[in-house]
Amino acid sequence: MVPLPVALPNPSRTHYKRLSVVLTKTIPDAVIAELKSIVGEGGWLDSSADLTAYLEEWRGLFTGCTPLLLRPASTAEVAAILSCCNANNVAVVPQGGNTGLAGGAIPGLNDQNEVLLSLERMRDIRAIDTANFTIIVEAGCVLERLQQAAADADCLFPLSMASEGSCQIGGNVSTNAGGTAVLRYGNTRDLVLGLEVVLPDGRVLDELKGVRKDNTGYDLKQLFIGAEGSLGVITAVTCKLFPKPASVATALIALDSISAVVDFFAAARTALGDEILAFETFPHIAMDMVQQHIDSCHSPFDDEYSWYVLLDLSSQRSQSMVDTGLLAFLEAQLDLGLVTDGVVAQSGAQRDAFWRIRHAISEAQKLAGASIKHDISVPVSQIPLLIEKASAVAESIAPGVRPVPFGHVGDGNIHFNLSQPEAMSAKDFLALWGVMNQRIHSLAVSLGGSFSAEHGIGLLKRDELARLADPVGLALMRSVKLAFDPNGIMNPNKLL
Amino acid sequence: MKTIMVCLKRVVDYNVRIRVKPDGSGVVTDGVKMSINPFDEIALEEALRIKERGEAEDVVVVSIGPADIQQQLRTGLAMGADRAVLIECNEDISSLTAAKVLLKCAEKEAPDLIVLGKQAIDDDCNQTGQMLATLWGRPQATFASKLELSGNVAKVTREVDAGLEVIEVDLPAVITTDLRLNEPRYVKLPDIMKAKKKQLESVAIADFGVELSSKVTAGNWETPASRAKGIMVNDVDALLAALKEKDLV
Ligand SMILES: Cc1cc2nc3c(=O)[nH]c(=O)nc-3n(C[C@H](O)[C@H](O)[C@H](O)COP(=O)(O)OP(=O)(O)OC[C@H]3O[C@@H](n4cnc5c(N)ncnc54)[C@H](O)[C@@H]3O)c2cc1C
Repeated sequence: MVPLPVALPNPSRTHYKRLSVVLTKTIPDAVIAELKSIVGEGGWLDSSADLTAYLEEWRGLFTGCTPLLLRPASTAEVAAILSCCNANNVAVVPQGGNTGLAGGAIPGLNDQNEVLLSLERMRDIRAIDTANFTIIVEAGCVLERLQQAAADADCLFPLSMASEGSCQIGGNVSTNAGGTAVLRYGNTRDLVLGLEVVLPDGRVLDELKGVRKDNTGYDLKQLFIGAEGSLGVITAVTCKLFPKPASVATALIALDSISAVVDFFAAARTALGDEILAFETFPHIAMDMVQQHIDSCHSPFDDEYSWYVLLDLSSQRSQSMVDTGLLAFLEAQLDLGLVTDGVVAQSGAQRDAFWRIRHAISEAQKLAGASIKHDISVPVSQIPLLIEKASAVAESIAPGVRPVPFGHVGDGNIHFNLSQPEAMSAKDFLALWGVMNQRIHSLAVSLGGSFSAEHGIGLLKRDELARLADPVGLALMRSVKLAFDPNGIMNPNKLL
Repeated sequence: MKTIMVCLKRVVDYNVRIRVKPDGSGVVTDGVKMSINPFDEIALEEALRIKERGEAEDVVVVSIGPADIQQQLRTGLAMGADRAVLIECNEDISSLTAAKVLLKCAEKEAPDLIVLGKQAIDDDCNQTGQMLATLWGRPQATFASKLELSGNVAKVTREVDAGLEVIEVDLPAVITTDLRLNEPRYVKLPDIMKAKKKQLESVAIADFGVELSSKVTAGNWETPASRAKGIMVNDVDALLAALKEKDLV
């Protein structure tokens, strides 16, 4: 477990005066009793033994507390809860699968009592329409179950990430999660056609209709996507489905430089178009760490190369057509000298082996010492410059630092993670977390990028949002928050 | 040693969820990802290692199936086999028929060693190698997890129920491979390109004069019954009670 970095944003600090209403610090017994009666027996938990799993943040960065966990079973119960909390100025923190990486789902971190509202009992699949390619699910449906329901109907729900066994669709929508298929299918936002949301005052916004064209004024549901529970509680989602691909093909490619990786990406898009499902890259140090620390992960190459690309295709065309197309493209790139070496998966097992290497990087890095992480994005064309400059910045702050930049090249999203210098202690290195973050976040923004690409703001990057966001945008966000949630009961002190 | 013959069977990829055809006449293979039977891949890897140690001159891969198994043979060539023989056949054949056809092939190639998987993951028959050795009149060493050659003798460690058994067989012989023998290499891009220039000979199965019809016919295919949903119990007492109720303890 990563120790708490010394310079982590202090959750109790506020940057601005926003709320006119003062939230209740201690929730009166009568309100607690009313909330319990709304959900009934089995719908709430309050003993600390039962609550542990809900209060611990995944990376161990935050541990929260709450007097009451509510587990409503219907939209009506959620509405009754919020209306009661709103009337009594009680803060509410929505929680999905608690896999978020920004601390957004953890209650009780601002010195005040907050009710935790888990969607875990609202997990029904309400309807599936294979002609319309849509599915309506309740917010607490675990992503993997949603994928399976789509597969059972011979369709694909393409959202996929390493946390899919635990995270919920409501959490995915609230964080606008990315994952491994963004290049082809987009972020969660692109996969959502409709939402049902309970507003802080208990009214229900029904925007579930599954149509792809609907120009009838402000597209309000978009505001809840990526809102991290700050505007209301999402209770159901209409998701887009896609035809199940008929074939997949995967290659692991070796290249000499990060600019070759970017050129190779452009060439791949031109030649293979929308058949590219994922285009992921990692440097040799990542391959090295994975081989050293993770059992059953081996480089398929005999030699070492500077950079690797995991290229994954999926298609409605036949397997042999896709295989042939991929090979013809790769051969041409090898002839041109852009690509140095490559292996093409000959079986599903080999494809899995390539993905295992990619997915093992975080874990391997954890075993290789302490790390300081950045989840940044820039236009794809700026990636080489970003890596060059950010590496120099990191070296100037922590001489001997080992940069392990990897990620979703196709989305311009680099997990610019830094492993501690071998000669420095973990503690001394982690003390540099805040300085390092600030300098590298500023760099990403100056290159036309974002300091938080897919993991959101939550509690972890709230200071950075205040520091780096466009002031006009920030002011508008605060107005939106005030308009939707005038009493500020929804997930206070997160995001904004 | 001059030649090693490796038999490759194309099967539905290990990672594909198998589906039975609605009419129960077989499993769905149309549009499904196909790969080399993993045990045969291990067989080829072993043959290549023998050749790379300088203990053999020539590795030939042989497969029986429709014309598009060419793709799996090309993979074999890209891994490092020298030549490939495609025995074109558009019907399902039994293990015995396969063994008879492979025998004809062996008579022509006169290999010092035939290596193939202990079984194919589609029908799990585990008999082609044994039948081939018997028809060929040569020794067999099945379920190999280690293989050492010296002169005309192969020392083979076999995975048997009781543990490991080490035997020696005279060459030529048939060896069937088990999972732990080796880890097959990946196919490198430059090797795929080189493999295109390697010899791939196609012959019609009819040319071998082997009777194709089988004495065994499959009546019907069914998906295994799905398991009943589990229940959650709160403690050991409840568990015992539930087991008793179902008459399991
Ligand atoms: C191993 C691992 C891999 C990951 N990989 C990726 C990745 O590739 N891409 C990526 O983008 N993220 C990734 N994540 C982060 C995380 O999985 C996603 O952010 C996910 O979408 C969070 O879903 P959740 O249900 O766990 O939400 P939670 O963590 O429970 O909540 C996240 C936020 O949403 C709010 N929220 C949750 N449900 C609701 C609701 N119904 N209504 C209103 N607000 C709600 C919470 O208050 C909180 O602010 C990964 C995490 C882990 C642990």
